Amino acid sequence: MKEVNQEDWLDQQLREAAPYIDDEGFTARVLQQLPPPRRGTDFLRAAILLGMTFIASVLAYVVSGGGRFVSVTIERLAALPALWVFVLALASGLVVAAVGATAAISKGWVLET
Amino acid sequence: MELTDADLVARVLVNDDQHAFGELVRRHQSPVRGLLRQLTRTDVALADDLAQQTFLRAYKNIRSFRGEARFSTWLYRIAYNCFREDARRRKELVGIDEEQLQTQHDPQVASPGLRHDLMRALSLLPLNERSAVLLCCQNGLSHDEAARVLDIPLGTVKTNVLRGREKLKRMLADWGPN
Repeated sequence: MKEVNQEDWLDQQLREAAPYIDDEGFTARVLQQLPPPRRGTDFLRAAILLGMTFIASVLAYVVSGGGRFVSVTIERLAALPALWVFVLALASGLVVAAVGATAAISKGWVLET
Repeated sequence: MELTDADLVARVLVNDDQHAFGELVRRHQSPVRGLLRQLTRTDVALADDLAQQTFLRAYKNIRSFRGEARFSTWLYRIAYNCFREDARRRKELVGIDEEQLQTQHDPQVASPGLRHDLMRALSLLPLNERSAVLLCCQNGLSHDEAARVLDIPLGTVKTNVLRGREKLKRMLADWGPN
């Protein structure tokens, strides 16, 4: 019993011997030494992707004879029966929803872990 | 509602949010600096340098924090590694320089009395016992958590805590409860 009391007493003294240390600019000094945030590289990545997309679109437009394939495809779609158009629209909507849900779930998983 | 450590870590991971990391530093600076002060035998300047290194290393390697342990335990491990690397450089891992102990001075333990004797007794313990006692008895880590921080087997931690406690009790026999 005396042994247990002595251990409690020792632990209590040890805890009391570790007072709270005031920050006194410590956090600010640490933050000053951090490397710059990733925003710069993210912006560069976005600019490169947008640029490539724009160039690819221009190339596709020129190669396809001024985008003639777009009007041809629309004409073909207009000639399809209404049921087929509905099925195509539904399938496209489902694909977009599935991609969105996957992205949301993976982002949630990263936040959770 | 106050954000948990896990929420703040997630913000750092996903958005590289340095304000969130600043909040983590503010929350944990006191126990980390306190532990390092005790490990360095109250060399305040060296302890604060090592604490800065600890948080910088934590920021750079935050992706390796998997949330299996508490964030504070993970930080203690980095802090202990920083201390060990520095000690190895200074070749202070073995033995105690009594002369140096006499000259070191910490304003927080300047007044004579129980706390002064406790600090002195702690500093006289070998490093393995001192670190185990500090983590388990002072900072409230379980033996298992301390084993992870110190990267040694669980049984060794238990033995070191036991031995360290025994020595402290002997050195502080005059102060203990009757």
